Amino acid sequence: MATTACFIIVSRNDIPIYEAEVGVAAKREDAAQLHQFILHAALDVVQDLAWTTSAMYLKSVDRFNELVVSVYVTAGHTRLMLLHDSRNDDGIKSFFQEVHELYIKTLLNPLYLPGSRITSSHFDTKVRALARKYL
Amino acid sequence: MTTMDPSTTPLGQMLLDEISPVIMLLSTPAVEDSSLKNNLSFLQILSPFSSFNNIDVPVRTASDQPYRIHKFKLRLFYASDVRNPDLKVAKERLKRVITEAGEKVFTELTSDAPEIDQHKKLDSSEYINTPSWFQFVNKELVRVASFSDHEAFDHPVACLLAVSSKDEKPVNRFVDLLNSNNLPSLLNDGAMDPKILKLYLLVHDNQDGSVERASRILTEMRSAFGTSNCLLLCINSSSDAPIKHEENPWASYISDASPSQDHGCLLNIDDINEIKDLMQNLSSKHIIPNMEQKIRVLNQQVSATRKGFRNQIKNLWWRKGKEDGADSPNGPMYNYNSTESQIRVLGDYAFMLRDYELALSNYRLISTDYKIDKAWKRYAGVQEMMGLTYFMSDQSRKEAEYCMEHAFNTYLKLGSLGQQNATRCGLWWIEMLKARDQYKEAASVYFRICGEDILHSAVMLEQASYCYLLSKPSMLRKYGFHLVLSGEQYKKCDQVKHAIRTYRSALSVFKGTTWSYIGDHVHFHIGQWYASLGMYDVAVKHMMEILACSHQSKSTQELFLGDFLQIVEKAGQTFEVTKLQLPVINISSLKVIFEDYRTFGSPSSANTSEGLWRSLEEEMIQSFSAAKTNWLELQSKLVSRKHSQSNVCVAGEAVKVNIEFKNPLQISIPISGVRLICKHSTITDEGSLDENKSSLEDDNSVDHFKDMNSDNSSFLVSDVDFLLGGGETTLVQLSVTPRVEGTLEILGVRWKLSGTIVGFHKFEFSLPKNIVKARRKGKRSPNDKFKFMVIKSIPKLQASINLLPGKAYAGDLRQLVLELKNPSEFPVKNLKMKVSDPRFLIIGNQGDMKSEFPACLTKKTDSSVQTDAQANNSILSDTVFLFPEGTSVQGETPFLWPLWFRAAVPGEISLYLSIYYEMEDISSVIKYRTLRLHYNVQVLPSLDVSFQISPSRLRIQEFLVRLDVVNKTSSECFQVYQLSSIGQNWKVSLLQPPDTIFPSQSLMAGQAVSCFFTLKKSNTLSTFEDNISTMSVTSDVRLVPQSSEDLVYNVNSAPLVNFHHYERLQQELSHEVDLNTIDFVLISRPLKSNNNLGFSDPPHVMSHHASHSSTASTGPISWLLDGPQTLHHDFSESFCEIDLKMHLYNSSIATVFVRIDTSDPVGISGQTNSFDAVQSATPDNQAGWHDVSTVNELKVTTSNALETQPGKALSLEGVSPYIWSGSGSTNLHIEPLSSAEIPLQICMFSPGTYDLSNYTLSWNLPSKVPGDSNETKQSSGKCQGYKYYLTVLQSA
Repeated sequence: MATTACFIIVSRNDIPIYEAEVGVAAKREDAAQLHQFILHAALDVVQDLAWTTSAMYLKSVDRFNELVVSVYVTAGHTRLMLLHDSRNDDGIKSFFQEVHELYIKTLLNPLYLPGSRITSSHFDTKVRALARKYL
Repeated sequence: MTTMDPSTTPLGQMLLDEISPVIMLLSTPAVEDSSLKNNLSFLQILSPFSSFNNIDVPVRTASDQPYRIHKFKLRLFYASDVRNPDLKVAKERLKRVITEAGEKVFTELTSDAPEIDQHKKLDSSEYINTPSWFQFVNKELVRVASFSDHEAFDHPVACLLAVSSKDEKPVNRFVDLLNSNNLPSLLNDGAMDPKILKLYLLVHDNQDGSVERASRILTEMRSAFGTSNCLLLCINSSSDAPIKHEENPWASYISDASPSQDHGCLLNIDDINEIKDLMQNLSSKHIIPNMEQKIRVLNQQVSATRKGFRNQIKNLWWRKGKEDGADSPNGPMYNYNSTESQIRVLGDYAFMLRDYELALSNYRLISTDYKIDKAWKRYAGVQEMMGLTYFMSDQSRKEAEYCMEHAFNTYLKLGSLGQQNATRCGLWWIEMLKARDQYKEAASVYFRICGEDILHSAVMLEQASYCYLLSKPSMLRKYGFHLVLSGEQYKKCDQVKHAIRTYRSALSVFKGTTWSYIGDHVHFHIGQWYASLGMYDVAVKHMMEILACSHQSKSTQELFLGDFLQIVEKAGQTFEVTKLQLPVINISSLKVIFEDYRTFGSPSSANTSEGLWRSLEEEMIQSFSAAKTNWLELQSKLVSRKHSQSNVCVAGEAVKVNIEFKNPLQISIPISGVRLICKHSTITDEGSLDENKSSLEDDNSVDHFKDMNSDNSSFLVSDVDFLLGGGETTLVQLSVTPRVEGTLEILGVRWKLSGTIVGFHKFEFSLPKNIVKARRKGKRSPNDKFKFMVIKSIPKLQASINLLPGKAYAGDLRQLVLELKNPSEFPVKNLKMKVSDPRFLIIGNQGDMKSEFPACLTKKTDSSVQTDAQANNSILSDTVFLFPEGTSVQGETPFLWPLWFRAAVPGEISLYLSIYYEMEDISSVIKYRTLRLHYNVQVLPSLDVSFQISPSRLRIQEFLVRLDVVNKTSSECFQVYQLSSIGQNWKVSLLQPPDTIFPSQSLMAGQAVSCFFTLKKSNTLSTFEDNISTMSVTSDVRLVPQSSEDLVYNVNSAPLVNFHHYERLQQELSHEVDLNTIDFVLISRPLKSNNNLGFSDPPHVMSHHASHSSTASTGPISWLLDGPQTLHHDFSESFCEIDLKMHLYNSSIATVFVRIDTSDPVGISGQTNSFDAVQSATPDNQAGWHDVSTVNELKVTTSNALETQPGKALSLEGVSPYIWSGSGSTNLHIEPLSSAEIPLQICMFSPGTYDLSNYTLSWNLPSKVPGDSNETKQSSGKCQGYKYYLTVLQSA
């Protein structure tokens, strides 16, 4: 389990639609904004990188000090971004794939408007469970 | 880019400037004195003329091919400055420059953040966008690393000795200057060759005298130091007036130049030309040839010792040998005459003379040596130079970058020793990357050169951010992020203004971001920092952005709000802002309630749908609408067309606005002074508006929001204060009361947060779907919803229903009083009232007011016929209740009218009342008004009552009634007081005394009780016509023991009878009086002793109605077989003949045709049947058939057992034991409501008990019965006979 891990889903309009701190480290007050800053800035890199490969999993695209940003881009250009300090490439890949599946299920919900915030508590618990499993 | 000349790039320029030959200057104080007359040092005088753009000198280095140099520069330093610069001084200088730049930029900063325009930015070059002081800072940082002993390009190439002609013994002075005390450590400690080119300059101040003396000294010098190395310079030729130089050549060289000082004021054009010539001469005649020569010499030496295979092997062998040498970070010391130093010098000289090939080959040569020697700093220095050489010769880019990275990393590894060098190397590397448009990579290098020094890293981070901005495609988010990082660093070293500047730039990226934490962070810090500078108004503006931070933790919310309020307080003025986010206003909850011809008695009545009220009032208002020609002119007659556009309200009556305030935070916030912002204007004719307040123009509309505090006499607004808890939503009702006629417009709402900051919200509807309120039909512009035509005051009735309980038990019957008040001085007339459901609420008689409740319900001694008549009247007028003619409500005295309430069914009951009234004053726009009242009553279940009626087998026209009562409450005790029957001459009476039914006189919670009554036709046989007129005849039974005070309730009293009527209606029964049906009313009371908690007002009387219990279960006829039960007969004599009588009664109102068919039992089966029946059936007895008495049964069985034997014996004979001996079939007509009697006879052949039920009655109603619309009613039927047991015993 990673000590720091911040998972975020960014819609194609660059709006965060789901955020979760999934690390075991005690949550610090200023960490949330730093994580957002790093992930937000990493979007710039993703924007270039996403079109250079056909793979959805872009591996680690950016880093800030010891924090690494790994990104998974879905076909609809929704970006699953994970800020982490652990080096567990396989685990992160599996995590992304499973969350992608969950996200698709959310999309299939006729009451969910694509691009809107994911408020489902079910989704949240599942994502956290996956984080515990893989990260 | 590939064709670009590297020397024209910024890095190329920089290298030409920074890596150029150094001349060490030594001067006597007299020289300096002469110079200072120009406000310049001697060095400064020379500096502008030491760089040449077109010197055009031929150069020949190691190769035989000469080439020409066009640009050339000499760097001049005083000997005392030829050393490692003082880090502290440099830092101080940097800090000063940065602070000054911060002040300067900050004052220039306009209020709006600079917009990053993609196109504009792409067109402009980097140096337009980035702050100019960056270059200065970078240059400073590069210079901090100069004069290191590990590289040779900073080592002086020549030494310029300047002695004034004023000096005593100038020749001796030259020698003195060369004293080793004056020389820098580089020369003294052997790092560089002390045999340096020396040039002797005699400076003559023309103000001190003629040139003769100088020429004499020069000759002296030439003889002493050699002809070529002695020079003469005359300055200060302009003796008379100070010269103003149009283009001051010194201006750009002096950092702290102030315009007041005249630099070079004594130097005329000849002097300047002389200086120019001197410097050019110096370069082309002395410096360059000297360097050329040195290169050639060194190259020969290096070639001899190091070039060639043999030398290389030797070198390698030798170096391996001293591997275990000193392991200091600098590596071993290299003397100036060591081969390594010589190679380095050779390389650097070649670089300075632009022979990059020669330089590169030497750098390569020395690089491996240093690496093997682990002289890391030197190694890094050589790598750095290799990178630069690659760049300048425009060779392999990859190699260049690799070398720079390698050098950079090596410097970093050295720690603090290499820090300055690493920075310099990084900056050069960055420039290299920038020259090749690799901005992204440049940015990451900037990020890497952030050292421990905070200010330094702040500047680097900011430069990194600009690199991201300039990269293609531009990385705006990275730009923003690094600006924020840089801003934080600036803040850490108290450069608040820089911090604000960077954050504001970042804001242009993050403006309107949905990344909540980012937006909050930026706004909060800008706000805080502005506040620390005392610029509270800007601070407040930024802090306002983050108030609705529901995503933040509670402590952060507290921090944000606390800081915000503190800043607002410090600002010392009340801010009035239109977009205050706290609290959040739910605009879709907005609802305007106003009263025109409709008035509301309570808020809940205003919330009830308009349609419901309309349907209720339809009949009452009909009289008015009938006068209109058609529906299209609904309002046009009452209100002029122009005014029909807007809503109407009455002066003096409040217009209410319901609006929801939501607190998004987890902390509670106090809100005060919530009020509506309104505009009132009085109307003169032709609609020209005499504006009471400012004009309607949009520009001024904000003013309405501002000058609210000015008291206005034309309307009155309410003020609401409340505390919104964390996450709470509160619905607030605000009101505005216009006082004079005109037009009232509601513009918005204002409130005060925490008593310090005022927020506004303007009611604007751009989308029609937002309009909740649609009370009026017709299309209007949305904002017309908030526009009212104020008409003059008209009366408005107020009404309340007194004594109405909020909660009641089912069946609760109460008398209520409707109280009407008219506070205005004008009377109202033509009052009408309508009640939504008369099942629950009926309008009483005025007389009821006088009588006391519940005593008025009890039977009085005098006849009750009168009340009956009244009751019937009110029942029939089911529609609109008209108050008595001449009823006029006015003044203080309230008008009272009784109402009766009955909680008919459990559940939530909504009661709607509408009262219509007209104005006496017909000049008003509104001619009538309606008052709408709405009440909710919660009805709890109490007693569950059910009746079961079965005909008696003993007497014709007698029935048994079984009453089941269950107390459904959880805690209440009721006294079942009285049972009354309402029906056609029925009389109900008790079977048992009340004590036996209710020993405790009450029904406990959850208890169920059954009791029995007999029901008889009363003796007075009234005619058919009579029954119609007097609808019901009642009989009452009291279920409590007799006592003096208790009275019998009169179910014929008006309320009871009316409620009973509506109960019947509810069950959709016809008004037709059926003689065979009976209604029961059970009256119960709660026990007086019982003190119930839930009800402030306990019920007095409760009535439970059960309607239309039919007595005629089998049809219109009832019959009874009458005869002996037991007889003795001697069968030995003869068979037994028994006479029976059948009594028949027709309870219908038509003549019935009846046929009686008797059939004899069929042999064995018949008797067996009868026998079985006897055993299973319960025998008749006087008490009724409900009670199974074991004693009786036993007796019967035993008797049967005795008598079976003969029966069986007879049956064997195959003869039926009895036969009907009369006619097999009898037909007869029975008149309505009359009885008939038929004789029947039976013959018995043997003793036994027989069931005489084997007959059938067929009845037939003539179908011509008039008015019989009920299709379901049977017109004919067939009934099986009752069981009737007859026992015949053998007489002894």
